[in-house]
Amino acid sequence: MSNLFSGINARLRGTANKPGGGKIPSPLSPTEEAPLPSPSSVSQASQSSSTSLQSKLPPLPASPSLSQSIGIVGGTGEDALNSYLLPRPLPIWLNPAYAKHIVKGNFMTLSARPKTVEQGEWVAHQVVEHYRNLWNFVRVIYEKEDDGKSICNATSCPRMSAGANHSYTWLNNRFEPIELPAYEYITLMQRWISGKIDDEKIFPTDASGVSYAHNPQITTTALLTGPDEWIGKRSGFPKDFFSICQTIFLQMFRVYAHLYWAHYAEPFYHLNLEKQLNSCFSHFVLTATALDMLKPHELEPMQPLIDLWAANGTFPPESKAYEYANLKAGARLLQLGGMA
Amino acid sequence: MTSFDFPPTPNRCPDAYGPITTYNRLRCSQVAHGFFLDGKQRAKERFERQNEMAQRLEDPNLSERREQIWKHSGRLEAKYLRFLRTKEGLSNYQTIKTIGKGFFGEVRLVRKIQDGKVYALKRLVKTQMISKDQLPRVRAERDALAESDSEWVVKLYTTFQDNTSLYMLMEFLPGGDLMTMLIKYQIFSEDITRFYSAEIINAIEAVHNLGFIHRDIKPDNILLDRGGHVKLADFGLSTGFRKSHDSSYYQELLQKPPAQPDNVLRSQNRNSVNIDEISLTVSNRAQINDWRRSRRLMAYSAVGTPDYIAPELFTKQGYSFDIDWWSLGTIIYECLVGWPPFAAENPYDTYRKIVNWPHTLFFPDDVPLSPIAIHLIRSMVCNSEQRLGRNGASEIKNHPFFAGVDFSSLRNIIRAPFVPPLVSDVDTSCFPVDELPQTTTTDNNDSSSTGATGTGRVEDDQTPTPEMTLPFIGYTFKRFEKTFV
Repeated sequence: MSNLFSGINARLRGTANKPGGGKIPSPLSPTEEAPLPSPSSVSQASQSSSTSLQSKLPPLPASPSLSQSIGIVGGTGEDALNSYLLPRPLPIWLNPAYAKHIVKGNFMTLSARPKTVEQGEWVAHQVVEHYRNLWNFVRVIYEKEDDGKSICNATSCPRMSAGANHSYTWLNNRFEPIELPAYEYITLMQRWISGKIDDEKIFPTDASGVSYAHNPQITTTALLTGPDEWIGKRSGFPKDFFSICQTIFLQMFRVYAHLYWAHYAEPFYHLNLEKQLNSCFSHFVLTATALDMLKPHELEPMQPLIDLWAANGTFPPESKAYEYANLKAGARLLQLGGMA
Repeated sequence: MTSFDFPPTPNRCPDAYGPITTYNRLRCSQVAHGFFLDGKQRAKERFERQNEMAQRLEDPNLSERREQIWKHSGRLEAKYLRFLRTKEGLSNYQTIKTIGKGFFGEVRLVRKIQDGKVYALKRLVKTQMISKDQLPRVRAERDALAESDSEWVVKLYTTFQDNTSLYMLMEFLPGGDLMTMLIKYQIFSEDITRFYSAEIINAIEAVHNLGFIHRDIKPDNILLDRGGHVKLADFGLSTGFRKSHDSSYYQELLQKPPAQPDNVLRSQNRNSVNIDEISLTVSNRAQINDWRRSRRLMAYSAVGTPDYIAPELFTKQGYSFDIDWWSLGTIIYECLVGWPPFAAENPYDTYRKIVNWPHTLFFPDDVPLSPIAIHLIRSMVCNSEQRLGRNGASEIKNHPFFAGVDFSSLRNIIRAPFVPPLVSDVDTSCFPVDELPQTTTTDNNDSSSTGATGTGRVEDDQTPTPEMTLPFIGYTFKRFEKTFV
């Protein structure tokens, strides 16, 4: 396999606040590059449009929420929304009328780890479930009609982007970031992820290898600490399992972000699939944050939707996604949509 | 000043897309819907299991075993999660024998290669399901079995599919079915009939409690387990009052003239005597055996036998749970008399007899039946308004025919009248395997599974046609099993 597939990187685009705000030359260099996809490198790199803003603000302690720190203590929802540098008019998916779901109730019931289940086992399960879900939507924009054209193609989406402010690159085999049409990026992403998920050494399926969660009150097995212990070790997952899963989640997040920014109206809204997309994506965000698969700053291109879902009750207050949200921004969006 | 606003809402235009997208739209919607439906059900069951475990941890009598309970729970849940992640496909199973055959596919005895366990694998051919409008049936069966956790219902472990077939992996019940028993013994004593009918009452009650009407209770669908006890199978017609289970299946059947069923049956009947008359008059065992042979062939046909179906299913007046009690009434009749009450040479004549039941139901003079048994049958094979069981299974349980029967201890305490004499875990002596064409075991590689867990690999989409995949979305199911190895 070519190294092309193994390098993932993202970088900052110039900030533009108009939709489809044109090609902005001389993108900043990636902040970090790594020969292999690793969550630290990618998450660093994906900090983008807000960097300039952040620099104007007093440094804040490592906060649970980038958006809250941007949101300025005591600032208004309007200020927070302004800080996102959103296009005008706002994307249709931020309209509370279209941020609804096909399910009611607490999504957390689907992603809560049973207490006895070893963490690595649960992460593996969630990775596979969310990957199947995501691909269900990707297929709609990805599969070619009889005329050979897919909805997402090199003309419609010459870059793998999430709005004008974010675009994502792959590393080629010389570890250089390269820009790809979204369609090709998704192809590489899909191949890379299924290469991991289908690898028995990374995602073992043999029933005899299972373990259980450690519980100091009940289980007597000694837990190692330090570098010789890792999540999933006792269930047979490899040492880099957790970081691989983080990278998979990050890649999946980028594709979701592309679906929202580039394809929400065309085709999902027109096909009456937006509620399905919302439900799967909100479940994805809740799971990924609860399992520490995505860091707050990595959510950035979708931050306003996360704010909205925190404000409209989609994210329960006890969830990390809720914690990462800026409620004022969400409330302002509800107000703008006439729903507050 | 407010600087934000939303774009005007565009009109939706779902029809502006090509056929692939139109197809993907339906698939996408169904998959998403199914994901949350299944996910919710699995989460619910998981919480129940965890609560149960938490209670055991608190139990002072089990304080010695707390660690064991905890570890067991963790491992069991983990095995299930791995099972969910695993790609399921035909290649995971080795065929031992074909043990059943129907118009829509067959049932094979298989061994799972990974752990050596034995199962019954039912295969349904997609093209057959589509051409005969059987989609609601297959969906109904999957739903009924997936939701049931009753010891009276055959257990469904997993379902998967490939481009040509749907598969249901079920528990193997080595005792065969009641049809085979009736063919073998021809007639049961009232005591034995009481045992089987009492067990069937429990089984039907369990199905009704799940919210399903079976609609196809017949001897072929009453299976016998290792101990000779009853389990219900074949929920192809069961209806849980869901949109996806609707079908005008029977209406169409009725509108067609006689002898429309398949050729197998007709070629068999060409050489046989007029069964209609036999059933009306005498117990000529040789001729009845002819009827029995055609009975088995009938079971393999597309239409199946209508012998046990209540009249209101044929007419448009609507029906309810009590249609299953009519069916039981006709089975009790068959156990005691030797053939079902409306037996006829062809399905059409049987329909006519059933709809006309007040004039066609009668008890032959030369077969001695107790008045109580006749009373029971007449209370079940009658108008829905008067039918016993209409207000719950207890009505039937309280009938004098069942006096002294302890319904709650049937399965676990009472010994069944016929316990299959089995020599191994793959003993098929209770199945008519000799009558079935045995496929070779090499067909395990006849199709690659895109199956249960397809992770959406770009290159392995062998472009199945929409009609081969779309109707079967949401078919996949995996049961949590306490006995996972």
